[in-house]
Amino acid sequence: MIDSKIHMRDAFLDSLYEFAKSDRNIILISNDFGAPALDSFRRELPMQFINAGISEQNIISVAAGLTLKGKKTFVYSIASFITLRCYEQIKIDLCVMKIPVTIIGVGPGYAYDVDGPTHHATEDIAIMRALANMQILCPSDSHLAASFVKETLKSEIPTYVRIDRGAPPILYRKSTNLKKGFSVILEGKDLCIIGCGITVHIAMDVARMLKEKGINPKVVDLYRLKPINKFELVKILKMVRKIFTIEEHTINGGLGSLIVELLVDASMTLPVKRCAVSDELLYAYGTRDMLHCARRLDKESLVRTVEEWVLESESSKNNRYSRRR
Amino acid sequence: MLILNVSMQKLIEKHSIEQLQQKAKQLRISTLELCSQYGGHVASSFSCVEILVALYYTGILKYDPGNQYYDERDHFILSKGHAETILYAILSDIKFFPFTWLETYYRHGKCILGGHPDKCIPGVEITTGALGHGLGIAAGISLAMKLDGKKNTQFVLLGDAELTEGSVWEAALFASKHKLSNLIGIVDKNDISALEFIKNFTSLDSLPDKWRAFGWEIIVVDGHNFDELISSLDLAKNQTLEKPVMIIANTIKGRGVSFIENDPSWHVRKITHDEVLQARIELEYAV
Repeated sequence: MIDSKIHMRDAFLDSLYEFAKSDRNIILISNDFGAPALDSFRRELPMQFINAGISEQNIISVAAGLTLKGKKTFVYSIASFITLRCYEQIKIDLCVMKIPVTIIGVGPGYAYDVDGPTHHATEDIAIMRALANMQILCPSDSHLAASFVKETLKSEIPTYVRIDRGAPPILYRKSTNLKKGFSVILEGKDLCIIGCGITVHIAMDVARMLKEKGINPKVVDLYRLKPINKFELVKILKMVRKIFTIEEHTINGGLGSLIVELLVDASMTLPVKRCAVSDELLYAYGTRDMLHCARRLDKESLVRTVEEWVLESESSKNNRYSRRR
Repeated sequence: MLILNVSMQKLIEKHSIEQLQQKAKQLRISTLELCSQYGGHVASSFSCVEILVALYYTGILKYDPGNQYYDERDHFILSKGHAETILYAILSDIKFFPFTWLETYYRHGKCILGGHPDKCIPGVEITTGALGHGLGIAAGISLAMKLDGKKNTQFVLLGDAELTEGSVWEAALFASKHKLSNLIGIVDKNDISALEFIKNFTSLDSLPDKWRAFGWEIIVVDGHNFDELISSLDLAKNQTLEKPVMIIANTIKGRGVSFIENDPSWHVRKITHDEVLQARIELEYAV
């Protein structure tokens, strides 16, 4: 059982270190970015660790070359830099050639809150899921983060692991069937709240507050954003009446978008409310809580949004009935 | 420091040089025919014919068309992927795939032989076409081979206009820091980009000094002279300096056909039927 205080990033790196000790083909490349858990890797396995400096384009190309010759290469960086700066290298050197490099992007969304827009990664899901042959994983606790290492080592396609900072409460106390790609964290029937990464925890808080108001939501952790387990997820969504998605990501192309696309492709008509970073420039610095409030992604705003939405749809249903009469 | 002294190097016999020149002529004609029928960058291909012939027809680059991925092979990456026509002509000539593939699949129909090299083509190591990727991937391959104690050599051919991509210089720093002496770069320095003469829009002056400043060993050669090309490649392959080597090959874009040579417009122009006839005469009767 993993220590509940260990950060998700460190849980992933510790697990990688354990594999790397007995497999000298595992290589970790950093763009001058560290972590407490990286210290033992650097010290004990110096031939398997490369600080390639701030050169994301070259890092992806080098990782492709190493992997072509049999290495199992992991690239480690802040999420915004290792997705945006080197997007063409990811597309061509990894996805087009189907080279299974693992990109560890730390701090998606507003994780680097006060560091501002240069460090925020609120487009990463949209751009990475646009790439064919790309797998996207997003752990919601340290246990899941650690268990993803084995998945990436087995993968035959490139993987982007978006790992939040910090150590959120452990959600997975038992081993999970990772092939499924999602978990129902909380059972409920009135509506289904879907989150990924840190927003799964926001979803749980929202669900608890809604329960006190008589609304009984289901909570789904979509920890594999690509490829989606369409068959199993549709089965779950067929059992709910409304869907509410929460993401710390632009409303264009992220978690909410992929759920809506899933429903359309499955010819399902369900009301969906997407709570995401709106498509307008918010050039602001502040704590994560402040940024959430500004984007109405804090739990109080989210509860209000759900309540208003439920009331609104109930009243329109009543109006529809009265028109019929 | 590597000193290129042609007379001191183990050069191939005079008659072999003539054979290589004949081969270059034959490949230019194949390239011309293919570009006239299906399109392609004829001028970009012509500037690197001798470089590729020196690699593929002298034993410098180790390869086996019957066993493409054999472990002891050397690797070649055409980072300037838009010169794919000459590469395809060579790969079919040395039997990685039959020439009929070019007639059937080059830039038309269900083409695996597309407008830029793809990893799925026999004899092609990686997909190229977007510039500035080849040197970084080559550095990764070289590092993997060095870590595993292997003796293979990695060759990569870059265009000079490609050097305006920042990623090239990121890779240059990486390769020298990791002492990738198994990495040999070649710059096809024809001084022309897709649009115009390079000197009109950027400063690639003192190119050897730039590479030296990035920690590379430099050899400057005439990129159409087989003696210089072969001896420089041989010297670079057998050097013991613990540095990557960059061969700066001074070339003429469109080399071999007078009206194509050194004219920027030929980067994208499609050659007409009459121009093909005239070019063919020039190539056939060149001394």
